[in-house]
Amino acid sequence: MSQSTPKELTAAYMSWYRFSRNHAAVIGAVIVISVLVMTALAPWITPFPDHIGSVVDFRNRHAAPDAQNWFGTDKAGRDVFTRTIFGFRVSLMLVVGVLGISVPVGAVLGMSAGYFGGWTERIITGLTNVMLAIPPLVMALAIGNVLEPNLTNAMIAITLLWWTWHARLVYRITVSIASEDYIEAARLAGASHMHILFREILPNCVAVISVKTTLDAAFVILFGATLSFLGFGVKPPTPDLGSMVADGRQFLPEKWWEVLAPGFAIFYATLGFNLLGDGLRDMFDVED
Amino acid sequence: MALRLLETILRRLLSVLLVLFVLSLMIFTLARIVPGDPARMVLGPSATQEQVAELRTEMGLDQPILTQYVTYVGKAVHGDLGQSIVTNRPVSRDIAEFLPATLELVLVTIIIVLLIAVPLGVLTARHRNTWIDNVGRFFSLVGVTIPSFLFAVGLQLVAANFFPSWPILGRVDYQLNAPDGPTGLLLIDSLMSGRMDVFADASQHILFPALALAMSGIGQITRITRSAMIENQRRDHALTLRSFGVPEKVVTFKYLLKLSSVAPLTIMGLEFASMIGNAFVVEMVFGWGGFASYGLTAILQKDLNALMAVVLISGLFFIFANLVIDIVVGLIDPRLRLRGGTA
Repeated sequence: MSQSTPKELTAAYMSWYRFSRNHAAVIGAVIVISVLVMTALAPWITPFPDHIGSVVDFRNRHAAPDAQNWFGTDKAGRDVFTRTIFGFRVSLMLVVGVLGISVPVGAVLGMSAGYFGGWTERIITGLTNVMLAIPPLVMALAIGNVLEPNLTNAMIAITLLWWTWHARLVYRITVSIASEDYIEAARLAGASHMHILFREILPNCVAVISVKTTLDAAFVILFGATLSFLGFGVKPPTPDLGSMVADGRQFLPEKWWEVLAPGFAIFYATLGFNLLGDGLRDMFDVED
Repeated sequence: MALRLLETILRRLLSVLLVLFVLSLMIFTLARIVPGDPARMVLGPSATQEQVAELRTEMGLDQPILTQYVTYVGKAVHGDLGQSIVTNRPVSRDIAEFLPATLELVLVTIIIVLLIAVPLGVLTARHRNTWIDNVGRFFSLVGVTIPSFLFAVGLQLVAANFFPSWPILGRVDYQLNAPDGPTGLLLIDSLMSGRMDVFADASQHILFPALALAMSGIGQITRITRSAMIENQRRDHALTLRSFGVPEKVVTFKYLLKLSSVAPLTIMGLEFASMIGNAFVVEMVFGWGGFASYGLTAILQKDLNALMAVVLISGLFFIFANLVIDIVVGLIDPRLRLRGGTA
């Protein structure tokens, strides 16, 4: 402890120190990393990678967990463990697709509303309030089905709703700092709107956005699983955690393993992102 | 002060109208521009071209979208939400029949959430950083991280294995001949007509679905209550009370809890939206013949009039709940009352 020189005590180091002392956050980070690794290496670490296709092995239908099929097999004799690991892929794709669009869009709209004020503010906050009044699942179901129930449309539906949360969050921060001296100074120095928005205001929002985005990842996984549980997921036979639970439910309570593995996988992934998000919040010291 | 409150309510009601307007226009447009002919769906594939065209005229589908919308709104304000193509009845009648079941489920859920989450939040805050706190925090984390449909499936599994006689489908045993009025809420109706057997049976039926629906709310509200309690414990007014020798119990329950209930109540209002959404799943798993089941069928069958009504009423439900919460919060915290609402 005493050997550490002042040079080492940079802000980043202090943040890392605070993060690493938080056991829950470290566990969360480990879980998230393990999910990412499993997803990336799925074809090599799973025993039956071909079982994500339309494989049918009727002699092995509904086999209980054993040394060969760690979590048993499903109604078509496919390995549940393999399909669960591959199921993470769909969840993570949904996370990247939804948050990759809705976070930047929400941030830009929120900043614009807070910075420009006037009609821009009125229209954006008005629209945000309208969107927030609709139960997201109801809306996603409605949009998804009016189009066609598949993963892409589910993604579109969730994205259409999700930007509002980030817009609201960033809007509040922007409003609270819009009249700060350094923003005024930048304006007087002749900085463009773009410069002020992205160089002066955005850095203030990064911490909050990253915490929210991490917690959102958990929500999107949960949300996507719920949608696919209701039948708005990827086309079979592609494995997907929510529809695996829905399929396995028909064979409860005897064939419990078919629900257990995908169910636990959902819990595992959302737990990881939640713990990580809480840890980041403590690290950056931001409030809800 | 009363005037302020009235003004707030009026302003909120105005914004409700605006929200409903934008929402309805959005869904209406969306529902009309998609491929698939509602008239064809009603008549089936064997109908002739003329029959379809005739029904299209009858349903007003040959008019421009804007005209259709104006007609729809004109009828809607008179309580006519159109005809459902699935049940072949007026949508408003379907809603009136199915909404009470969901309302009952949601109300019981809210009661469960408050009964578990608030005491748990207070307990974990008072015993901060002890094993009680850790257990409570883990419990609420589990509530937030597990989706409702997993809880629903899991609870059914538990019931099937450990309580084989416990009912896990439907609202009430059909052989009991339950009263169907005046409120539509079985628990209240059975009490009003003195049917204790129905009341007991309905309570058994509602317990598991309500629990499944409550878990995520319990997780959220416990967390928020805990952090609000901790926040307030450190404040000067708490210190003042303690230095006057006011017992800790009184400080906690009489003063701090009241102050700390603002944040959880506000979150509860927002939670309401996800609760209605999750009701879709829970009702499906438990065969609960409610509004959400109806909505799910409407969505799956592309029953546009029913779909429209379901989305609008869900939105209305949410807005109304938040209005009530704003008023309650205003009664608890005068500062918010003067500022005029939280949103």
